[in-house]
Amino acid sequence: MDDTSSKNLKTDSAGDEVPELELTDADILDAMQHIPGYLDITTEDFRAIYHLAHHHAAGRLFGKIRAANLMRTGIEPLLPDMPLDQAARALVKSGYKALPVVDTTGRVTGMLTETDFLRRLKVDTFLELLLSMLDDTFELKHRCHETPVSEAMTAPAVTVAGDAGFSEIIRAFRQHDGRGIPVVDGDGRLLGMLLRKDFITAYHLEPLQ
Amino acid sequence: MKIPEYFRKMRGTTRGSPPRVSNAEIVWSGIGGFLGIAIVAWMDHLFFAGTDLTLLFGPFGASAVLVYGAVRSPLAQPRNLVGGHVVSAIVGVACWKLFHQYPWLAQAMAVAGAIALMHATRTLHPPGGATALIAVIGSAGIHDLGFWYVLVPATLGPVILLAVAVVVNNIPASRRYPEIWF
Repeated sequence: MDDTSSKNLKTDSAGDEVPELELTDADILDAMQHIPGYLDITTEDFRAIYHLAHHHAAGRLFGKIRAANLMRTGIEPLLPDMPLDQAARALVKSGYKALPVVDTTGRVTGMLTETDFLRRLKVDTFLELLLSMLDDTFELKHRCHETPVSEAMTAPAVTVAGDAGFSEIIRAFRQHDGRGIPVVDGDGRLLGMLLRKDFITAYHLEPLQ
Repeated sequence: MKIPEYFRKMRGTTRGSPPRVSNAEIVWSGIGGFLGIAIVAWMDHLFFAGTDLTLLFGPFGASAVLVYGAVRSPLAQPRNLVGGHVVSAIVGVACWKLFHQYPWLAQAMAVAGAIALMHATRTLHPPGGATALIAVIGSAGIHDLGFWYVLVPATLGPVILLAVAVVVNNIPASRRYPEIWF
């Protein structure tokens, strides 16, 4: 019985483990005491049902979440030798807070974020930037014009594969503060962008519906 | 499977049997069992005394344990209580008719057949095994009943026990019956 159940668990979770609490006999007996009346079930039966039901529920909640299903496609990435002011315009046009930078083969080499711009302009916040712009508009413009994207971008970029599941995506988001993660194929080429808000929406709404 | 593993399985998997029930639970189980059997016995005396039929037999004692003592058990639900006795009675009578020249075979087939058919019809009810066995090992009077045995006692008795269970088991706030009708 142990053999078959563990095999089932593996196929159900599709390699995307959701942590599960191990119940002790005392936990189960305590729970049984809260139910009035005689339960003709052993603690081992209860544990087996709990494990199988947990994996079923976890599969239902998280199983459908794959990076490729949630990502946005049709992203126009930046190129490493693009000047920063042009990249800024592309960023604004895209509506995203960050865009992936790809080389000529489409491989993701880095991410250019709004924070990268601030750092490049030697300030920490937008407010600081506004103040310094009042002082010296020309120099700021100049600085962006001369610098290529490759110098300002954050590299290497944190990416996920298309088949990345719930826990892998969570891990990727934990690795950096960005709001978007490039989704790449096996060779590191850009497939799309996974936005944090899309991920959170999918994670919260699916179990509720 | 390796031999040590085979013997290791005999040690059991868990420590701690299900906890003792509350005192209220014990009292209500007793009240249910008393009323259930009392009513079946009383009706037996009222309607079947002096006839060839009997409404009361041993397996109902076992059924009473389940339907008044283990109210939530799948084995105690109406489908199992009534279905288990009916299915087993049919198997028991059929086995007597087919194999009565070989009592040991009829007895074993009755119980084995009852278990299998109760499983197949999702009506597993342990006292059913006794119902099937009594159809074979019972008195000449039981044998003479033929398939009447299926109706009285094997259908009527459980129906009375069921009616009492529905009435009594729902009186205390902490109890409910049934969990599933069918």
